[in-house]
Amino acid sequence: MLDTHASTTPLVQMSDIHKHFGGIHAVEGVSVDLYPGEVVGVLGHNGAGKSCLMRMLAGAMLPTGGEIFVNGQRADLKTPQDAKRYGIETIYQTLALANHLDAAANLFLGRELKTRFGNLDETRMHAETKDALRQLNPNFKNLKDPVARLSGGQRQVIAIARAIYFQAKVLIMDEPTAALGPSETAMVADLTLRLKDEGIGIFLISHDMHDVFDLCDRVMVMNKGRNVGTFRIGDVDKDDILSLIIKGALPDGWVPRGRTS
Amino acid sequence: MGEEKNFVTAKQVTSGMRFLPTGSALHKLSALLTLLLLIAAFSFTSPAFLSVNNGLTVLLQTSVIGILAIGMTMVIITGGIDLSVGSVLALAGVVAGLVIKAGVPVAPAMALGVLAGAACGLVNGIVISKMRITPFVATLGMMMIARGVALQLTGAAPISRLGEAFGLLGNGTFFRIVEMQPNGFPKVIFPGIPYPAVLLVLTALLGAYLLQKRQIGRHIFSVGSNEEAARLSGVNVDRTKIWAYTASGALAGLAGMVLMSRLVTVQPNEGVMYELDAIAASVIGGASLMGGVGSISGSMIGAFIIGVLRNGLNMAGTSAFIQQIIIGIVVIGAVYIDQIRNRN
Ligand SMILES: Nc1ncnc2c1ncn2[C@@H]1O[C@H](COP(=O)(O)OP(=O)(O)O)[C@@H](O)[C@H]1O
Ligand SMILES: [Mg+2]
Repeated sequence: MLDTHASTTPLVQMSDIHKHFGGIHAVEGVSVDLYPGEVVGVLGHNGAGKSCLMRMLAGAMLPTGGEIFVNGQRADLKTPQDAKRYGIETIYQTLALANHLDAAANLFLGRELKTRFGNLDETRMHAETKDALRQLNPNFKNLKDPVARLSGGQRQVIAIARAIYFQAKVLIMDEPTAALGPSETAMVADLTLRLKDEGIGIFLISHDMHDVFDLCDRVMVMNKGRNVGTFRIGDVDKDDILSLIIKGALPDGWVPRGRTS
Repeated sequence: MGEEKNFVTAKQVTSGMRFLPTGSALHKLSALLTLLLLIAAFSFTSPAFLSVNNGLTVLLQTSVIGILAIGMTMVIITGGIDLSVGSVLALAGVVAGLVIKAGVPVAPAMALGVLAGAACGLVNGIVISKMRITPFVATLGMMMIARGVALQLTGAAPISRLGEAFGLLGNGTFFRIVEMQPNGFPKVIFPGIPYPAVLLVLTALLGAYLLQKRQIGRHIFSVGSNEEAARLSGVNVDRTKIWAYTASGALAGLAGMVLMSRLVTVQPNEGVMYELDAIAASVIGGASLMGGVGSISGSMIGAFIIGVLRNGLNMAGTSAFIQQIIIGIVVIGAVYIDQIRNRN
């Protein structure tokens, strides 16, 4: 079904991933892959297991079973630091920033630049942050304010700038626009396409069908922890996807859309 | 002199306004203003208050609470609390006293005392981060354990006759000027700057440096601000918390050395409720018990507000009970003002 990538190794390959919390089977034998310059939508109801699956790739959660390969190599992602070492960066809906710290402190959090004497190199961190943010949004101001005072869009720009600055190869966007207004949502969509053009592979969790059809090359639908179908975006329409999300199956008598009529 | 100081603050307030101080800078400024107002008020009510001698007394009295408040501030910024410092201070003193009695010289014995404090803090940090016990409960447990060990080791009796050298840290001074009078008796021109005060300043500078200029400080703030975000950003949250509690324990040990040395006796029941003064100092100085906010300079102002209040009320003949009541009201007032400001 998906033969376009047959020649290259996938950037990420998640294979038969399981995650159990006691009796709850949050993720049940999910396999999915991601290629450079590709946006794969991860769709599903609330509680379908999307965030859990992505957190395991981000090193923020340990799988109960299954394997993850990055560039064809088996990767042991025990901590967020491990994932970052593989170039896997994550943008979260809300959780990612320390409100009392400014943009630079957040961008470099955990990977602070230091002077020769091991002190924090504030000058350089501010300069680099200014560059990184201005590239994404020329109007970015309030660089020295605690990020609590910034708008949702500005906060998300910081998170995206962080991923770019540290040269993400794989970007996980877990509902990146859930807390944003329409213009900010458009800006994030625009940035997503720019990153894709640079060859970054992106997993995008979204509930917004416009975003999904505008941005994604493929979609993977989860239902009750299972992968109920991975499709090229051209092969499905909105009703197919909704049916997968709700029923966990395609509408009766479905044929790939791109190949009919 | 009171007028002069008020003038200085007025200038600071206006210059602060011009640069639009952030919430915490404003809090620090109002705390400083409160301190200066207190000094002015007490100088007015008791003339002996504003003397070099009394100033140095306040400095000496504040140094123990100040040193405790430095560690407490770090812990509070992580979003935690350390209720064990008063007991750890006593246990550290007992450890130093016992090893001196066993024949160890004073300096290494005191270092061992500080290490004992650090060890208590390390245990706090491990219990909190690895066993996931809340800081309140974990350090409340340590408060009882450390006090119990201190009393058990000594049979609740003070350890005295520790030698003159043991009293040096708490009673020594720099720049003491003594003049021989014609009648053969010495006259103290300048009583000298007490070692504990110098130690307080050095510790505060070190603490502020670590919090503001080093990665560990940045991580301490991030953990208190948003622990999950810090973890996802790659901050080692457990290590950061363990570090903060260990520092608090070590500083409690250091405060214990200062206090016991001043008494030239190890008292296993010293330091009861000191944790509350240290917490009060941090909170008055602008630290938020929710985490993510606080500063060493603010906490030093807070420590001096408490020190000046105690000293001034003493000189005015107020009873210790009334002092507790007043300090309690000041703490609630400081937090209340902070909340009102944060709501805006
Ligand atoms: N840390 C956790 N502990 C227990 N259950 C969890 C945890 N995280 C998620 N779950 C459960 O796993 C399931 C999948 O959650 P999640 O991945 O967040 O769903 P989604 O992101 O698709 O809305 C849900 O039933 C949720 O309650
Ligand atoms: Mg989710």
